[in-house]
Amino acid sequence: MLRIREDRQAVARRIEVARVAVGAMLSLLAVAYWIVQIVHGDYYFSLSENNRIRAVKVTAPRGYVLDRHGVPLVENEPAYTLHLYRREAKDLEGSVAFIIDLLGLNPEVVRSRVERGRRDPEFVPIPIAENLGIEEVAAVQARAAEHPEFAITVSQRRLYKHAGAAAHALGYLSEATPDQIKNSNDAYGVGDWIGQKGVESAYERLLAGTSGERRVIVDSHGREVAEEARLEASPGQNLFLTLDSKLQDVAEEYFKTRVGSVVAMDPRTGEILALVSSPSYDPNWFTRRVTSAEWAGLLENPDRPLQNRAIQNMYSPGSVVKPFLAYGALARGLVDPEWRVFCPGHATFYGREFHCHKKGGHGLVNLREAIKESCDVYFYTLGQKLGVDRINEILTGFGFGTVTGVDLSFEKAGLVPSEEWARTKRGARWYPSETISVAIGQGPILVTSMQVARALSALLEGGRLPTPHLFYASQDPRTGAQLRYKAEFLQGPTLEADKLAIVKSGMWAVVNEAGGTAYGSRVNGVEMGGKTGTAQVVGHDTAIKAGADKSKLETHAWFAGFAPIQDPGIVVVVFVENGGHGNLAAAPLAKALVEARYGIAPAPPPPSVRASGTSAPGFARAAQRQAP
Amino acid sequence: MIGGTLQTGRRLDLVVLGSALCLAALGVLFVASATTGTRFQGLAARQAIWIAVGLGAMVAAILFDYRMLLKFSFAIYCACLLPLVYLLAFGARIANVRSWIRFGQFQFQPAELAKIATALLVAYLFENEDDARLHLSTVFKLGAIVGLPVLLVFLQPDMGLALTFLPLIFVGLFFGGLPARGWIAIFLVVAVIAGAGWFMLKDYQKARIGTFLNPDADVLGSGYQVRQSKIAVGSGGFSGKGFRGGTQSQLRFLPVQHTDFILAVIAEEWGFLGVILVLALFATLFLRALKLAQTARDRGGVFLVLGLTGMMFFSVVINASMMIGLAPTTGIPLPFVSYGGSSVATTFLAIGLILGVQYRRFANA
Repeated sequence: MLRIREDRQAVARRIEVARVAVGAMLSLLAVAYWIVQIVHGDYYFSLSENNRIRAVKVTAPRGYVLDRHGVPLVENEPAYTLHLYRREAKDLEGSVAFIIDLLGLNPEVVRSRVERGRRDPEFVPIPIAENLGIEEVAAVQARAAEHPEFAITVSQRRLYKHAGAAAHALGYLSEATPDQIKNSNDAYGVGDWIGQKGVESAYERLLAGTSGERRVIVDSHGREVAEEARLEASPGQNLFLTLDSKLQDVAEEYFKTRVGSVVAMDPRTGEILALVSSPSYDPNWFTRRVTSAEWAGLLENPDRPLQNRAIQNMYSPGSVVKPFLAYGALARGLVDPEWRVFCPGHATFYGREFHCHKKGGHGLVNLREAIKESCDVYFYTLGQKLGVDRINEILTGFGFGTVTGVDLSFEKAGLVPSEEWARTKRGARWYPSETISVAIGQGPILVTSMQVARALSALLEGGRLPTPHLFYASQDPRTGAQLRYKAEFLQGPTLEADKLAIVKSGMWAVVNEAGGTAYGSRVNGVEMGGKTGTAQVVGHDTAIKAGADKSKLETHAWFAGFAPIQDPGIVVVVFVENGGHGNLAAAPLAKALVEARYGIAPAPPPPSVRASGTSAPGFARAAQRQAP
Repeated sequence: MIGGTLQTGRRLDLVVLGSALCLAALGVLFVASATTGTRFQGLAARQAIWIAVGLGAMVAAILFDYRMLLKFSFAIYCACLLPLVYLLAFGARIANVRSWIRFGQFQFQPAELAKIATALLVAYLFENEDDARLHLSTVFKLGAIVGLPVLLVFLQPDMGLALTFLPLIFVGLFFGGLPARGWIAIFLVVAVIAGAGWFMLKDYQKARIGTFLNPDADVLGSGYQVRQSKIAVGSGGFSGKGFRGGTQSQLRFLPVQHTDFILAVIAEEWGFLGVILVLALFATLFLRALKLAQTARDRGGVFLVLGLTGMMFFSVVINASMMIGLAPTTGIPLPFVSYGGSSVATTFLAIGLILGVQYRRFANA
């Protein structure tokens, strides 16, 4: 085929055409701008002078948080902020002096705020003081005629109705951190409030709603004249928690004077009925802007009030671990229910002497009695039969060593030892004598209260591990439409009913048979089962010799209970730091919670409990109030 | 390969270089005006850094023989498209689009570089397809070369940036000598595709086009930008409200005023005179670049200059029309002037290529 090369002249001609077209096009644009800027210039100028439209964000009202019965836990209340409009002030210094005097404000704070505000354009109001009281608002408004430069704006502030109650479940609000702003895809800006920790953080998107926008017309002073258009904010969802206020109140009262945590949960669904971590803090502090003294107090408190002890602190489980190991040994056929161990109060394993908590010994005990009386020698022997890797397998099956997935952040996973763990993670081989300690929940084994609650639920529900949760339902405040939480489960190894029955019978005996370790806490009218535990504080004896504070060296007290025996509707895990023994320090709260759950007026407390001073009048009151 | 030392700029076209530098300087000035006292403060300095980067790229492009670049244009094209594919697969979304790659503090839009690479490959195509008659196969090749990056960018989704590739097709067809019946056929095909494409657009893109057709229907949403920018431009009048005196811009009624809407800030603060200054600088640049295209020593050079100039011209026309509601707000920046590192740097790279073609216009260079 003949190829005819194109003449360069043809391209050159087209370029000439293009030059004309480019010139014409740009000229046309100039004409268009002439029309907009010169012909209609006055019109647009007047628009820009008189109709300045500004976009103002409308924050959506944040959803309320309520308990499962609709008792409000967190609401919003109006908060008044005082602003200074510089353009209106004839004598700025005079105005500042006036307001400092009128409201008794800190002069340094006010002056530094005004200084900072001066960097903004003049029409931007300077915030002078937040959270004014009603009298202060009235005082400013009474002088509005002489001092038009001061204006008061109303906004919504978060109100935690019961101060520190359930603080760790609820969380708190604070101004969004720079990182949170950066990661929010423009949803949050400087000065916006955002949930931190607790359900405030976990369900931030539900609670916050979607902010709206107003286009307002402002005058040349930047003051609002009229509203041009409005995109309504859609309010946040109300959040119903699984918490039951009457149980929560009982638990809060109990922990007023103690350090520790309690988790009460419905074993069938994982609904958390009460959650306390003590000491607590008042989430209202943060919405009122924490003072540095308050921050220092929170941070320097050695008991770390900001920590949620139920999920963030890990402890040795002590004897609470025994029912799980007992079941594991039964299921694996290593022991039969009537196999007996003689307990003289101590025993020797691998050349080391181990003591039973009962100095005189329990005599000949079978599995049920060993659980009931918490015989250590029985479980030492059982642990030796099991070995650490089988212990690991049993406890992992009950969910120890992994997070429960509760809808709260910063949950810890705990530790279940194994030979491999010792070799790879710890870097020192596993000693068989350690197995003996682990069999009674001491040594290198760590759990959280939440894990114990979940594991006990699995023991009661045939191996089904419920995922603990606080979300009960959310509700659209405009339509009332509800969204319910669908319970989630992990399926552990399926448990055998007949073997479970033996373990449960032992746990029943703990509370209901004379000689059981929590016999003092039996409940009238509903049968509670459970297991006490006492976790040693590491380095106890050495520290005593060194003259340490004795109250900090008391053992930690555990109690993990459930009720009723048939078809349990509640599990309660109580942990009292330095509380002494589980039967005295922890079990009475479980009893009180079971009574609150089933509406039972408490019987007069048995003498032993009264003597120990653990019966707080508060829960008697609370329980009576709720009785049908 | 390296074409000796520059001879004191005598052979470099100072008209193109000068108008580009003036526009960039105006850009820094007005980015500063639009951002001082806002959370974007400091972007003017950053813009200046990017201009310096762009000037470096420009000098490199002048020194490097464009014939070499044309020879390897297919490899360059592939190399520049890879990051686009990567972005679609793994890119993090910034402002809801996957078009940015981060380098520490700085971000870069690889699509900007892909524009240059595509222009190179189109030039290479016409270097070899030099028959008097434009073949249908050439038209399809052209469509494929431009279509692929357009598709990749469109999926990010960045409609504005995708559109800025399209002038390359027009440049190829027009300067390649498409006959009248060819234009009619293309018009029909485009009409059909546009109809079908409407169903593929994202909602916000539809909203923008709907807003363009009827800006008053949605005062709160995308109509707001057009309306505010028109007020800014119109209220500038003949001589403007003075530097940093624009109430529309200084009171932050304008959205993204330092990027896509920078011309509205100039129009408000320097008035019609400012607009004429900007348009005159662009006119000088484009008319001069087209003149240079005529003197290029080979067909590849001609098409390279035409393609790069065509893309710039298209962006200027669309952006300037956008300000006064004559085109939908598609997110196309004003070359040299709008804030945006990748855009500024690659525009200077393009200028470097144009100057390189001019610098080597004599066969013995």
